[in-house]
Amino acid sequence: MIEIGLIVRALLRNKIGALLIALQIALTMTIMVNAIFMIQDRQSQMQRESGLDEANTFYLTNTVFGKDYNLQAEMQTDLNSIRKTPGVIDALQINAIPLSGGGWSMSLQHEPGDDKDTIGSAVYMVDDHAINTLGVELLAGTNFSAEDIEWRVDGQSTWPSKTIITKAFAEQLYPDNWETALGKTIYISQNQPMQVIGIIKTLQAPWNGWGGVERSMLVPFQMETQSSYYFIRTESGRRDELMPIIEKTLAESNKERIIRRVTTLEETRKRSYRRHNATNKILTTVVITLTLITGFGIVGLAIFSINRRTKQIGTRRAIGATKWQVMRYFLVENFLISCVGVIIGIAGAIALNMWLVKTFNLTPIGFELIAFGAVALFIVGQLAVLYPAKKAALIPPATATRTV
Amino acid sequence: MLVMKNINKTFQTGNIQTHALNNFNLTVNEGDFVSVTGPSGSGKTTFLNIAGLLETYTNGEFTLDGKDVGQLNDNGRSRMRNEKIGFVFQGFNLIPDLNLFDNVDVPLRYRGFDAKERRRRIEENLERVGLASRMKHLPSQLSGGQQQRVAIARALATEPRFLLADEPTGNLDSQMAQGVMTLLEEINQQGTTIIMVTHDLELAMRAIRTIQVRDGRVSELDVVAEKASA
Repeated sequence: MIEIGLIVRALLRNKIGALLIALQIALTMTIMVNAIFMIQDRQSQMQRESGLDEANTFYLTNTVFGKDYNLQAEMQTDLNSIRKTPGVIDALQINAIPLSGGGWSMSLQHEPGDDKDTIGSAVYMVDDHAINTLGVELLAGTNFSAEDIEWRVDGQSTWPSKTIITKAFAEQLYPDNWETALGKTIYISQNQPMQVIGIIKTLQAPWNGWGGVERSMLVPFQMETQSSYYFIRTESGRRDELMPIIEKTLAESNKERIIRRVTTLEETRKRSYRRHNATNKILTTVVITLTLITGFGIVGLAIFSINRRTKQIGTRRAIGATKWQVMRYFLVENFLISCVGVIIGIAGAIALNMWLVKTFNLTPIGFELIAFGAVALFIVGQLAVLYPAKKAALIPPATATRTV
Repeated sequence: MLVMKNINKTFQTGNIQTHALNNFNLTVNEGDFVSVTGPSGSGKTTFLNIAGLLETYTNGEFTLDGKDVGQLNDNGRSRMRNEKIGFVFQGFNLIPDLNLFDNVDVPLRYRGFDAKERRRRIEENLERVGLASRMKHLPSQLSGGQQQRVAIARALATEPRFLLADEPTGNLDSQMAQGVMTLLEEINQQGTTIIMVTHDLELAMRAIRTIQVRDGRVSELDVVAEKASA
């Protein structure tokens, strides 16, 4: 027969130690649940698809310093040369690299005017090779044709009349049905019309922490500029082999420019989420440390309590308690303390989460995580008290008759 | 009936062996009130611990209520202590965090009685020792004599065949000691077999039989017939 009533009444008469442990459990629960939630949130961010064929793409920076350098002609020569290289699927010039942290964004709106609501989007300036080079999936509409591509000079404020947008952007523009975005005219720079000619599945913006990271648009621009990126997609498994070859070919083909920062998309992703990874490691360490401290606290309290009650335990054994009944007493006692801690902890976890949601625009915590935290702490508590409880069960009944 | 034949108990500390009981023989019949006296270190408490199944013995034969104690495992010994033996300790050994009701309740819960039966036994036994009106009090709110009465109520609640008392009046003044002793006599008269270890010869002589333990063996017996004829 489980002596819950007796244990509760005994705890109520001796509550300071138990209350401190319950508060420690509550604090651990509060921090643990929210830390795991933040880890999961970052983990899911890191697992989002960029939309690119990351394993087989790389990019490099082409920086021109020659005075009589023909930017348009040389760029076409470079791209033709890269595209003809055996093992290369396609290549293009682009103004920004997804997840790299640096890029362009523009505000778009349904109607022209300076007082209309706008939606931000990352802007990638590309040619008609974009779909193939980036490896993005065209869900609806068409790709740009070669005739759609315009040259853009530094400082130019006009925009082409066509665009391809991501599905996430289309959903933001037309929440009822993203497919209706196809063929619609949207406005950039307040009043310049652009027709949506295609919708692609996914293409992330350059900024992984931006709320609109899934909103991107392709614009048919080739840039007449001193510095731009060449983005290259290779056949599967040939990226690493082709990176130095293309770098060397480009560098040797024209000495009036510098080819540098030859980087894979995988490296860019890794660098992009370096802080996420570091934060997750810190949070994981905090969770483990707190859980261990709580476990040690429970062990400490239980051992202290057993040492204080040695004679009492001996007496219990003398009047008929089996070893298991003594062990069970401490397991149940710890379970009850854990219950109080977990209940306070659930309230604390929800309160902290509400604050985090309000302050950092996170999503609310799920019930499963709270349940996981509660079960985890019950298990930690029971494991922590197991050794002291076993020790208590070994106290001989003859202790009851000892006078010291 | 408690029968001990040639019981030996040896403690080993390093290379030193201590013979706490040495061919100890004793038979306690149903309804007896046996007091055990003897100098310090004579083996009285060791005898009481073995008789109460609190300790094991090195060799010999020991039957309690017809059962060979040597054949019992730890759980069996716990069960037998709970069902057949009641303990009264010198220091009362009440649980300070529990009130009188709960203190008496502890062994009954180990026995597995339902709530109604437990309540009946607790109230009946606290009534028997004259403390029914104070069942919600904590032990610290009682005098030493009252605490020992609660300990007796706890021991009696399981309706044991044997009541083992280890210096039950050792921590009490003479007036309280007399009261506790009178209570033990009443309990014995109602049929419970009592074995009481005491230093107090005057109290010891109030038992039906008095045995003296010296050097780990029974050295002298005063039987009820002698007491009755005195």
